Formats: sequence, structure tokens, C-alpha cells
Amino acid sequence: MAPRNATASSSKPASRSASTSKPVNGNAIGRPGPSTLKNKKRAVQEVEEDEDDEDDFASAGSGMDMSDDEELELGDGDEEDQEEDGEDEEPFPEFDSEIEDEDEDEAAQEGDSESEDSSQAEDEEDDEESGSESGYNSSDIEAMYGEENDNDEYSPLTSPSSSHKELSTDEKLSKLIAKNSIKPDESLGTDAKISRAKEGVGRLVPSKLVEGGYKREYEDYEAGYGSESSTEDNPNTVGNIPMEWYDDLPHIGYDVNGRKIFRPAQGDELDKFLSNTEDPAAWTSAEDRLLQQSVQLSDKELDIIRRLERAENPDADFDPYQPTIEWFTGEGNERVMPLSAAPEPKRRFVPSKWEHKKIMKIVKAIREGRIIPNKPSATKPTVYQIWSDSDQPNLEHAMYMPAPQLPPPKTIESYNPPEEYLLNEEEQKEWEEAEKEDRKTDFLPAKYESLRLVPGYKNLVQEKFERCLDLYLAPRTRKVKLNIDPESLIPKLPAPKELKPFPVATSVLYRHPENSRVRSVDTSPDGTFVATGSEDGVVRVWDLGNGREVWKWNLQGGAVQHIAWSPYRDESLLVALVAGKIAVLSPLALVAPAIAANTLTHVNTAFASSAATTKMGAGKEIKGTESIKWVRPSEKERERGVLVFVEVPGTPKQVSWHRKGDYFATVASDASNKSVLIHQLSKHATQSPFKKLPGQVQKVIFHPSKPHFFVATQRYIRQYDLSSQTLVKTLQSGVKWISSLDLHNKGDNLIIGSYDKKLAWFDLDLSNKPYKTLRYHTKALRSVVYHPTLPLFASASDDGTIHIFHCTIYQDLMQNPLIVPLKILRGHKVTDGIGVLDLSWVSGKPWLVSSGSDGEVRLWCS
Amino acid sequence: MAKIKKRGESGAAKNYVTRNQALKKLQISLSDFRRLCILKGIYPREPLNKKRANKGSSAPATFYYHKDIQYLLHEPLLVKFREHKAFAKKLAKALGRGEWALAKNLEDAKPVARLDHLVKERYPTFTLALQDLQDPLNLVHLFSTLPTNPIPGKTLVPSSIIAECSRLISEWKVWAIRTHSLRKIFLGVKGVYYECDVLGQGGETVKVRWLEGYEFQQYVPTDVDFRILLTFLDLYRTLISFTLFKLYTEENLVYPPPLDVELDERGESVGAFRLVEKKDNEGVESSGVSKKAVRKAIRGIKAGASGTDGDVDMDEEEEEVAATSEEANEEFVERPSKDQENEDVSTAPLTTYNSLLASSSNEASTSKQNLLFSPYTFYLSRETSSRTWEFVIRALGGKIITSLSAPTPADAANVDSITHVIIDRPITAERMREMEGGRKWSWIQPQWVADCVNKQKIISSEGYHPGQLLPPHLSPWDGEGEVYRPWLDEQNNAITAAQEAVADEVEDDDIEKDAPVEDDDASEEEEGEEDSEEMSYPPALLASALDPENPTLLHAAELEAEQNGISHGAFRNQLKEAIKANAGAAKAAESKRGGKKGEEDLRKIMMSNKKAKLYEKMQYSNKEKAAEKANLEKKRLAIEKRKRKEARA
Repeated sequence: MAPRNATASSSKPASRSASTSKPVNGNAIGRPGPSTLKNKKRAVQEVEEDEDDEDDFASAGSGMDMSDDEELELGDGDEEDQEEDGEDEEPFPEFDSEIEDEDEDEAAQEGDSESEDSSQAEDEEDDEESGSESGYNSSDIEAMYGEENDNDEYSPLTSPSSSHKELSTDEKLSKLIAKNSIKPDESLGTDAKISRAKEGVGRLVPSKLVEGGYKREYEDYEAGYGSESSTEDNPNTVGNIPMEWYDDLPHIGYDVNGRKIFRPAQGDELDKFLSNTEDPAAWTSAEDRLLQQSVQLSDKELDIIRRLERAENPDADFDPYQPTIEWFTGEGNERVMPLSAAPEPKRRFVPSKWEHKKIMKIVKAIREGRIIPNKPSATKPTVYQIWSDSDQPNLEHAMYMPAPQLPPPKTIESYNPPEEYLLNEEEQKEWEEAEKEDRKTDFLPAKYESLRLVPGYKNLVQEKFERCLDLYLAPRTRKVKLNIDPESLIPKLPAPKELKPFPVATSVLYRHPENSRVRSVDTSPDGTFVATGSEDGVVRVWDLGNGREVWKWNLQGGAVQHIAWSPYRDESLLVALVAGKIAVLSPLALVAPAIAANTLTHVNTAFASSAATTKMGAGKEIKGTESIKWVRPSEKERERGVLVFVEVPGTPKQVSWHRKGDYFATVASDASNKSVLIHQLSKHATQSPFKKLPGQVQKVIFHPSKPHFFVATQRYIRQYDLSSQTLVKTLQSGVKWISSLDLHNKGDNLIIGSYDKKLAWFDLDLSNKPYKTLRYHTKALRSVVYHPTLPLFASASDDGTIHIFHCTIYQDLMQNPLIVPLKILRGHKVTDGIGVLDLSWVSGKPWLVSSGSDGEVRLWCS
Repeated sequence: MAKIKKRGESGAAKNYVTRNQALKKLQISLSDFRRLCILKGIYPREPLNKKRANKGSSAPATFYYHKDIQYLLHEPLLVKFREHKAFAKKLAKALGRGEWALAKNLEDAKPVARLDHLVKERYPTFTLALQDLQDPLNLVHLFSTLPTNPIPGKTLVPSSIIAECSRLISEWKVWAIRTHSLRKIFLGVKGVYYECDVLGQGGETVKVRWLEGYEFQQYVPTDVDFRILLTFLDLYRTLISFTLFKLYTEENLVYPPPLDVELDERGESVGAFRLVEKKDNEGVESSGVSKKAVRKAIRGIKAGASGTDGDVDMDEEEEEVAATSEEANEEFVERPSKDQENEDVSTAPLTTYNSLLASSSNEASTSKQNLLFSPYTFYLSRETSSRTWEFVIRALGGKIITSLSAPTPADAANVDSITHVIIDRPITAERMREMEGGRKWSWIQPQWVADCVNKQKIISSEGYHPGQLLPPHLSPWDGEGEVYRPWLDEQNNAITAAQEAVADEVEDDDIEKDAPVEDDDASEEEEGEEDSEEMSYPPALLASALDPENPTLLHAAELEAEQNGISHGAFRNQLKEAIKANAGAAKAAESKRGGKKGEEDLRKIMMSNKKAKLYEKMQYSNKEKAAEKANLEKKRLAIEKRKRKEARA
């Protein structure tokens, strides 16, 4: 575009005489882009020079004109400024009108004051042009009109035939005001333009060619190729480049003369903020990137922004609902002339031959009877014999489920039911409050004295509708209804009375002082004594038969955690556990002298060679057991039968004897890797068999015949071979927390009790999963014990009951063990949520000793 | 190596499709799909594993069996639906363009979906159709009682459909009357339940039960979708009409039976139909009978009748004049063998009905003798529902005089033949005497008829007289032995005794009169007592003996003794004896049970978890049942006590 522009301006001098045609040309060229700024500037200068010439020429043409121009030329610059200011207040001020002013001021300084007029004129043209582009004609024209009137003021009308009336200053002012304040009438639009054209703006001059004739002489139009209003007023001529290129430079571009335009002083953020807060107009200003300063937006621009925001047409004056102008339709606009002069074709008025043929065909068919018009289609009879005796039902299919029939009505539905079927008040209330689905009957039973009093049933339509919905919407599934006797589900087991003897009732009660909890109970292997360890720290020995307390040791180490008699019958040894130590005790005064002697020898041999305190291994220490000491009690204590103390880390909780009575294992779950210890009494030696433990060990037990060792952690039971020091198998209990563990005397079956109320029976030959898991206690199991000889076992629980079971283990490996529940022993009271704590069978007899948290120990006999 | 199974290509994922998938597959709208499902009897399924059936998604969905949808895919109805859709479009277009002639042509060629094939498909044998007849009959009965003028926005049922429904049920009832197949009737709060025995394929008897609401304007709730109901009704109407055709044909009757418009207008329901026997040559195989043929047949029959039979119905006379008599030999209508009431021809509706009855007498004369009500004539008072009782009594061989023909029993033409008057309003004894005019009529409430039908014998009318408090009306389907009511046995005994007496009376053609109630009761009670003393102790005493500590039971026993007229001392002795006798038995039972119970408790420990849960469930439901029973028993005792107290006061 720019070159074109340039050529246009360069061609200007040549076409000077035909200046009237110029504006049209200029309009056609349109607004040049900012990139061509420089060129245009140059062009403007040229044009200005040209125009000087042109004005001269014009002045030669008409003195009036000359004077006019003179006046303008000679006029004060200020005045012109004012005028321009007035122009700036036009309906469509340019974005950078101020800049334009400055620019023009500059131009004035250069002495080309005349150019201002032209530039101004061009400005107007430009406005008009931009207006016509974006569709606001009328106002522009109006503006133009007003403008020209202004001009007219300066040019006195010489011609009487001129249609222009001379306007007084007042009129002019009022017109100006009206123009700026009132939205121009749209109806003026095109008409105005047309009329203006007809009217003729130029003045009438006596024609030179025709005698007495006038010719219309138009004012010279300023083509204004060089002066582009929007670009011209921009002092920064740097062009359309990203302004950040100048970010590092002190200037922001160049003016027309190539001088640097320096960056205006930028306030810091605080200044910006202050100006934002103080200046009420700050929010309506925008930053001009080219000049690096903020520019106040005019009301017009703000209005445009507002309209754009609302997605409206940016032009306030644009009327989207203009009345249509009917050019070709409507009254008076009918076209009378045909579009084509061709005559009407024949086919328009001659019946179709082919249609005739088709019809004749049908007619023929009808005549021949091939087609019978309006013949009713052959209808099947509405009902007919559809079933015959030879019908076969469909084959049964698993996926075919016929809808269930509605059940027959019951007596409760009778209009006159027996009186007991009627609902009483509570039931009726319940019925009314219940959800529709939860009601037992879908109607309220009622009794009427006679049939005539029975009202209509309100829900009949609803019920039938719901039935229909059920038929097609309800998913169908087959539900197997078991029609069996519930008793048949109970397994067939031998009656308990066939499996006697087993303990059934309490016969002896061993009562502890102050009802201190008896944590542990054990019977001596010969079945004469019962030893109990209670929470008051005393180990008591009772006579089994009569319930008398015959011996006691106060270990003064807090609660007695566990006690166990040595299973070796030739000795009378008892191990009691308190916090931090193991006491090896023996009621020497109560047993036969031979046994007492045996016991002493067994326990004291190791002391003979050493001092009162022996350390494990006497020199050859096993790593990790340094802190374990075998301590000889004082003489006085030894007389009471306290034979040895073993000081161990942590609080041992369980002791388990090897069947030969020399080894015993203790478990202290809080002693990290030394929680399981195996002690040898004859050598006063302690071993810690596990370097690392698989978990928190709950219970341990020796195998009755093999050198195997069972360790129960929270969920698993591991069987170790002690001789080869290997893991034999791991049993998965399936319970959450094992509380107790016992091994059958044959060594092939194992029971565990758990805190989650379960008892699991393992058949070691069968699987590493429980053969049976029983859940019959309502609270945690505390103890499970096999009878050493008889086929019995018992479980004790926090619910205060003891369950006795019969268990036959067959020689035949194919036959599963028979477990028969025999009896529930009740008697222990539940205190603080803890019931029976420990159990012990009396060897050789079907008797059971149990200890409870209520401070009682009971002997249950058959 | 085995082929790797792909997900979603076998098992539940393949077997089930969701509803949306089905719609996509069938390319029909939801409403068309619904219609198709209703008509074809396709229903959703509940897969065992929903997630697997839904290809891993656990979003809620309705599942259909895949093969069901496949089966819908080649349903002729589907084509009809499409045709109808196209037709609707064409019609709308034609109407929119104002091309009335085209619209009329289109309307004439409108595709009509017929459901015959569906009936045969869904019910391949007649027995199967009969077995599934309950819902159709219920719905058709319901629709026959809907308001005939559709309520806008509520019922969209055209009156033609309602009329067809009432025609179907009338035809069904006419058939039941003709074959005397009504077996049970129960008057419930929802309506009247009937049960018929229908012979299915190969002589198999099928019990068909249906519910007929009471004759009131039906309340129509707003949330009932009549489009669904009408779709069901379409199928049901077809099914019932085919069933009726089969039943009528087996009876060698013409179906549909011609309707006597005149009688119909007079308010006759079942009586307005005329049963026409088929010609022999028409045979059972003939697939249909055109209306013309039927009309012709009737005319012929009438002519024949006029020729053969001396007495003719009033309503038939006019036609008869015009009738030609050439076909007289070929066909005949079963005529009423008019008896004494013949002279009054103005009771035309009745006579047609009688004719119906009589018609059955020819062939089923042997069975007719055994019918319950065959010796009796009933007068139906105007407040009793003739729709119900006319049907029931006629189905059991009785004769009926309705209030249509005679406003009071005394006005009836054949007054002397009346044996029972069914009346449902209080009436004074004087008025009854006045009406009887020396004749012996049995005045009874309608429940008597129902109870007779259910018990299959004529029971004593004691307690059923107008104004009397009726004995409870029990359901004839009340679970075989499920609810045992020993206290009703006494009543039953009394009733049987009375019935025997009545039977004797009837045989003597002596109508039972109002025998003094006390007399009867006393004698029966004595009988009962004798029995009880011979056999065992009276029930309350027994109950009290079983639970000697319970004061209420003891009181009940005392009251019973008082009633029976046993002295206090005797009662004490009796009670002691009873307790002793009981105690031994109880102890034995107790020890057995106790021992057993303890054992059971323990043995349950050894049950597997699954079985234990099942056992618990069973025990729970048994306990619920027992509790319900106990509750009823408790209430009954309380009520009896209260009544006795009231009686004493």
C-alpha cells in the first residue's frame, strides 16, 4: 500500500488542474498502515509544498478564495489551535488527538501553517472514510456538513442562487451543540447524502463558455495523500516493531527528524500506585506502548470498550433494526415486464402422455378385475383355534424364569376376619409409620359388620399397576428355598454322656486373699498339689484334695506372671516368673525326702563348682546372654525352698518345661531378641536360640517326643528342629492374635486360642492351615490345654466360661480327629472384663483346675 | 498352550447386556423397547456378579439376557413398529399439507400389530396359558370397572377398550356358569376373589383365581402410567379371547356368544349373552366363526326352537316371526326348560339366564344333581351385588330372582319357588313374616353363600340372618393346616350338625325356619362337650394345665367350666388331674428337650460357618412365624375374655 500511496502523492502535481477528482482518489486509497509512516511523512512534506502551489493557483482562480485562504494563513496560530480543538471535540475524536495537535503545532512552527488547513480537511475526509468503512455514515456526513457550513462562514456567498443560507453565529453554535449532543437522525442517512449531491455544494460562477450561463464551481478538495492523520500525529516513528527491543536503551524511538525520543520519566511502583489511587481517572487510562506513557481514554472509547464487553456493536449509533427498504416488492414496486420473452411451453397445458399411459394401465387392470379398488385386505379372524392337543411345551431352560403368581389371599384380608387379626392401636400406628415396602400387609385389616358396608378399595389400580411394573421391570433370579429341617444342619456327634468322664462341677475352691487375680495355675505331676501365682506376688501351693494352702513364697517382684511344675515326677520343681527374674522353687518340706534330695542335687550341682553367682557357661560365655545371671538365693530363702533365681532381661511371661525336666524355655516378649530363652537347670546355662525373631513371640512349647520347639508369634506358629537348628514348618493360624498354645501328647495335633475369640485345631500331618477353626466363646480366649493322658481338652475365655471338649485322635491317618463339645463350665465371675485366666488338667484324672480374675481357683471334677 | 481368554468375551460379560446396549442393538426407542418387553415377556436379570456383567464398571445398570435381546431382534412386531413409525410420519406430513385424501388412504392402510403369534409363543400349550391367567383376568376385571368416560390427563382408556373388557369378563363368567367350574369365593377388603377349575390340555385341571373389585368407581392415582397398563391389556385381551375361544369350542359353543343388546341395555350382565351350540359339521377344528354365520345360526335356532319348543321367550318372539325355519333341524339353541315361573314372561332377563342354566341341564344333568344350590331358588335383595351373587349362585346350580324383576321377594312372579332371600340390611321380623306370607324362606346374609361354597356343603343359616353378627369369614386358601383353629372346630361341628338337619329338612322340601338359636347351640355344645370329655379336656383347661402358673389361662379355664356348667369343685379336680397328666408328659418331654437342648447348643459349635448362618436364618424365620402365631393366640384369648365379661355384665 505504501508504494501506491507514494506514487499517488508523486503524481499529484501532474493532476493538479483536475483537483476536484482528487478526494475520490484519496478516499479510494484508504488509511495507510503505520509501517509506512516514514514514507508518508516524506510524502506529506511534498504535498505541503505542492499545496502551496495549488493554493496559489486557486487564488489566481478566485480572489474570494484567496482572501479566505489569506485570512486563514494570516490568522493567529492560537486561533487555529482553538479551531482545531473545536474539531477535536467532534463525535469521533482520534485516539491520539493531542499528539496530532502537537504535531501540527510543530508543523506550524516550521512555517507551513497552510498545511494545517489541508491536513485538517484531510482529517475530516479520513474520518468520513473510516466512518464509511465501519458503517457510521450519517453522523459523518452530518459532521462534514457542519464542517462545511463552518467553511461557508468564512466564504461569503456571492451567488444568489446558492442554496446555502448564511448562518448566524448563534445558529451555528446551536447547530454545533445539537450535532454534538443529539444523536443524528438515522433517517437522514442516504437521503441526506443524495440531497447533498443534488444540492450542489459548489458555488455558481458565470460560465465563460455559455453566455449568461452559470457553471458550478466546486471548492478545491484537499487530497491529503501525504498527511495520514492517525500515523502523522504519532511522534515516534520507530514503526511496528516490538517495543521491547528498546527496553535496554535510554530512548524509545525516533521522531520524524531522526532524533532520539527519550524514554519519559517512569515513576516507580509506588508512584504508579499513588497515581492509581489518587487520580480518579487512572482506571480509565491505558498505556501507550509506543510512547511509554499512559493515555487517558475518552468517553467515546470507554463506551466502545463497554460495548465490546457486552458483545454489542462497538458503534453506539449503529441500528441493527433499520427498516427494510423494499425496492422490488410491495405496493407500487411490482415488475410489469416479464424476465423472459420466451412463450409458454406446450407441456404446460397439454396433459401428460405418460401419465395417461399409466392410468390406462390401471384402468385396464381394474376392468379385467386384476385390481379391485378399495378391497379390504384379507383379515385373519380375530380369534381362532390356537392350541391343539398335540402342543408341546418348550424345553426347560435354566434362564427361563416365569413370573411368580400372586399368593392367594389370607384370612387377614377378609372383610370379616376373626377379631384377633385386627391390628391394635400400636400395630396400626406401626403400620402407618412403616414404609410401604416394609409393611407385612399392603392393606389395613378391617372388620365390617356386613358386606354392604365394605367400601371400595382405594389402591386397586395402584396395586395392579405395580404388579405390571414388577412383571416387566423387576429382575428375576432363582432363589433356592431350602425346605429342610434346621436340625439336620447340626452335625451328628456322639452324646456327651457316652464320652464320660469329664469335669462337670466345681468340687474344691481355692480362694485367694483380697481376690487378687490368679494369673497362673498348675498342678504337680503327681496330682497332689496345685500351685497358683497371683498378682500379689505370692506363689501358693495348695492341697489339691481339700483346698488348703500348704506353702507359699512371696517373690516380691510384682505379679507372678506364670508358674509351671516340672513334668519330671522324681523331682518337685516349680518355676515362677516375675518381672526380671525366674524363680526355681521347690516345696521341699512337703515332698518325700528322696524327691527333695533329687531336686536339690539337680539344681545345686552347678553351684558346687562356682561361687554364689554363676554366670552362664562359667567362662565360655555364649554371645548375647551376658546379662543373664543364675543367682543363688540367701540361706533363709533356700530353706524356704527358693533354689535359684535367674535374672533375665524383660518380664518373662511364659515358661514351658521340656518333658525331661532339665530344660525350660521362657518367653519375655519385651526383651527384643532375647525374648525366648532356653535354660538348662543342671548346668545353670541359658541359651538364646534365636538371633533374630520373626515377630513378637507369644508362646513357646517343646515337642513331647522329638527335639522340636514351637514358637507362636502373633499370627504364625513355627516349628523348629533344635538339633539341626532348622525351621521345620510354619503354621498359618488365620487368627489375628494368638493368646495360647498347646500340643497334644502325641505331638501331631496342636490347638491355639486367640484373642479374637477363635480356637484353631491344627493337624500337623494334614496341613499348615487349621483343620478346624471354632468360634464359640463370646470373648477372647485366655488358655487352651490338652489333657496329658485323656482325650480331652479345655478352653478358657474372658467370658467366664470354660468349654470342655472330647477329642479322639485316630491311629488311622485318613480319619480326621473327632471333636465333641462336652460341657460348658460356668462359675468364674468376670471382673474388669477378664474371666478365666489359666487352666490346668490334673494328671491321670478327668479333673480340671482353673484360675480366674475373681481371685478364685476352682477344681472341676466329673 | 491354551488359547488366551480375552476379557469380556465369555461368561457373564457376554451373557448379559445392559438396557442401553440393547436399545442400541435393536435401534428402537425406549418406549418401543418397553412395549416389546411387555409383549414378549422379556424381563431384566440379576447377574450373580454385576461388575463382571458390566465389563468392569460398577455403575448401576439394568441387565438383560443377551439371548433375549437376540430373540427380540427378529421379532415381527419390531417390523410393525417401524412401519407404524413411517406411517405416522407420512400421516403427519399428509395432514400438514392438507392432503386429506392421501391421509385417508394412509389411515385405511394403517399397519396393525397383531399379537396372536405372541400368545402361541409365550404359551405353547393351553395349560400354560391357563396357569398364567390370573394376572390377565385381574387386569381385565379392573379395566372393566374403570370410568367409561376418560378423565383427561388421568385415564387414557378409550371406552371401547373398557367395553371389550367387560364383554370378556362376562363371557368368562358365562362359561364358568355353563360349566359349573366355580370352586371357591372369598370376600376380602380388596374385592371378591374367585377360583375356578379349568380343564387344560389332556384333562389336566388348572386352578384359576382372580380378583374382582367391589362395584365402586375406581380411584385412579396420578402416577399410574396407563400406557404400560394398556400394553399389558393388549396382550391380556388377546390371551383371554383365545382362551375363551378354546373353552367355548370345547363346550361346543359358538364364540363369541352373541350379545342380546336389549338385555344388555336393561342392565343384565352375564344374562345378556346367548349361548349357541355349534353345528356338528363345524367341528372343533374350524378356525373361526364369522358374525354373519353366527347371526344366521341364531336365526335358525330360533326358528327351530319355535317349531320344537312350545314356550318361547318374549324377547325372541319378534325375531322368531321373521325367522325362517329351514335350518331348524341342523341347529338348536338350548332352551330353558321352563318351569312354573313360565307364565310371567315379563321377567325376560331372568328367563334367558334360566335358559342358560337349563341348557346345561341336558348334558351335565348328572353333575347338576350334585351341585350345591341346585334345589334352591334365591331372591337377591337390591343392596346385594347381583354381579357377584348371580354368578356364584348360578355357577353352583341355583336359580336366581333379582330385584330387577321383582322389587321385593313377595312381588316375584314365582314366589313359591323362592327358598332363600339374600338380604344385606337390617329388617324387622314382622316385615319378614309379612313378606313371607306364610311361606318358609331362609333369610340370609350374602356371606352364607360364600361360606357354603367354600365348605362345599350347605351350612346352617344360624348366625347369618339379617342383622345378626356374622361368624368370621375365613379364606379358603388359608394355607393348608398352616393356621390351625381348634376353637373354630366346635363351631364347625355345630354347623355340620345343623347342616345335616337342614339337609333333612330340605329333602322334605321343608325350608329351614328360624329355629331358636339357644336351642341349637345348647344341643351342639352338649354334643361337643361329650366329645371333649370322652376324648380330652376342654381347650382352656388344657391350656391352663399346661401352664398352671398363668393366672389368665386359669381364669379362662374357669370361665369355660362355668360356661359348660361344671361346678367349681369338679373343675378343681379336673384341673388337678389334667395338670398331673400333663406334668408327666411334660416332664418327659422337658427332660428330653432339655437334654437335647443343651446338647444342641454345644453341637452347634461344630457347625461350619455357612451352615451356622443358614441355621440362624431358619431359626429366625421360624421364630417370627411362631411369634406371629403366639400374638394371634394371645389376642384371641384376650378378646374371648373380654367378650365373656361383657356377656356376664
